[in-house]
Amino acid sequence: MQHCSPEQLALAALREPLPAADAAHLADCAACRGEVAALQRAVDALAVPALAAPAPSVTPPPRVWDAIAAATGVSATPAPAPTSEPEPAPAPVVELRPRRTRWLAAAAAAAVVGGLAGAAVLTRDDAGAVVAATTLDPLDADESSGTAEVRERDGVRSLQVDLDAPSLGEGYYEVWLLRPDVSGLVPLGVVHQGANSVPLPDGLDLGDYPVVDVSVEPLDGDPAHSGVSVARGSLS
Amino acid sequence: MTALEDRIDLYGQDVETGRTSLRRVVEPDDDEIARRFRDGDEQALALAYERWGGQLHGMAVRAFGPGPDAEDVTQQTFISAWTGRNGYSAGSGPLPAWLVGICRHKIADVWAKRDRQRRQSEAVAADVASRPGSSDDVDTRVADRVLLLGELDRIGQPQRGIIELAFFEDLTHAQIAARTGIPLGTVKSHIRRTLERLRTRLEVDGAALQP
Repeated sequence: MQHCSPEQLALAALREPLPAADAAHLADCAACRGEVAALQRAVDALAVPALAAPAPSVTPPPRVWDAIAAATGVSATPAPAPTSEPEPAPAPVVELRPRRTRWLAAAAAAAVVGGLAGAAVLTRDDAGAVVAATTLDPLDADESSGTAEVRERDGVRSLQVDLDAPSLGEGYYEVWLLRPDVSGLVPLGVVHQGANSVPLPDGLDLGDYPVVDVSVEPLDGDPAHSGVSVARGSLS
Repeated sequence: MTALEDRIDLYGQDVETGRTSLRRVVEPDDDEIARRFRDGDEQALALAYERWGGQLHGMAVRAFGPGPDAEDVTQQTFISAWTGRNGYSAGSGPLPAWLVGICRHKIADVWAKRDRQRRQSEAVAADVASRPGSSDDVDTRVADRVLLLGELDRIGQPQRGIIELAFFEDLTHAQIAARTGIPLGTVKSHIRRTLERLRTRLEVDGAALQP
């Protein structure tokens, strides 16, 4: 097979998992491995925990400011650090946003994207009647897309998700239903590339939760939405 | 992705929230501190220290433990930022992120200083023991860091922000695309070009240090 693309080699240098075919080639190709190693020297020098952000906040002793003031000639003085325990860390420097906040921000965009999704043709076959459908449009990347259909058979509804998405080195895809105004979400379960069927909770009002969202979830035991959504559409 | 872009900047900061409304009334926001800092308002240096000194000192303490080296890093970060404030522009990103970048330089400088001292003391010991060819081996990684942090400073946005998210926040390219709203393919090609640029810098200027 042909060599890995320069982009894939750069991602490998950052130790991101590659698609299976590229990973297999890399394992066998000395030239590609040499390229990764050459790029990795910079990664190994800089991507170290001591330089990472954020770090837990530590109040410096007063002599630190005294030295700064002496060296700069600045006569202003900072307010004394709070003595009691309070105030969460000051405004985040380059801190990772809390998962919930990230999700809210991401989901706020759902309404925009959802509005763009088109309805699919409603059909009926042995899997039941299609009562609502949407295309799943890619978010950010153009790598993941698909369709979602709500089918009803014998009074039981399920969501059929046909997902066209890349293989994940780590983690898994999960499908959710979101409220357009972001006030709630319903986890429906794990989905894979290709055709999936997940049951819908009885009594769930799809008018309340019309946005189908596919996310990438890390295997971290945290049931909350990761904030990393790859495809979305709004049922109609 | 408009809503996402409006709310967060390249460093993933929430630009709207993070403080209580009460504090917002009585204290300038981060942007105002940044503007006044750039303009040389001494009070802004005190405000920046008040607001971000703990986090920068936290980075220094994580690298060196509490003590003189960590305090020196925090001190030097603010002193360099103040004396070099003309180098801070709107294109440098948020002020706290710029300060973090300076702090990384100061941490790398202390590592380099410690490495020099180690080699000197080893050289003295080797002299006394009359052992020829003893260790004069520079820790290449320590030297690489100083060199590469300097090269990062020369990289424009958004490339610099992208590689910093990969290096310092351990985000995948897909997460970076989601965080910044920059298309995935663009993120990938920026990552590739930046890593190739850093490799070239090491090959050209780090060559003498290679074993």
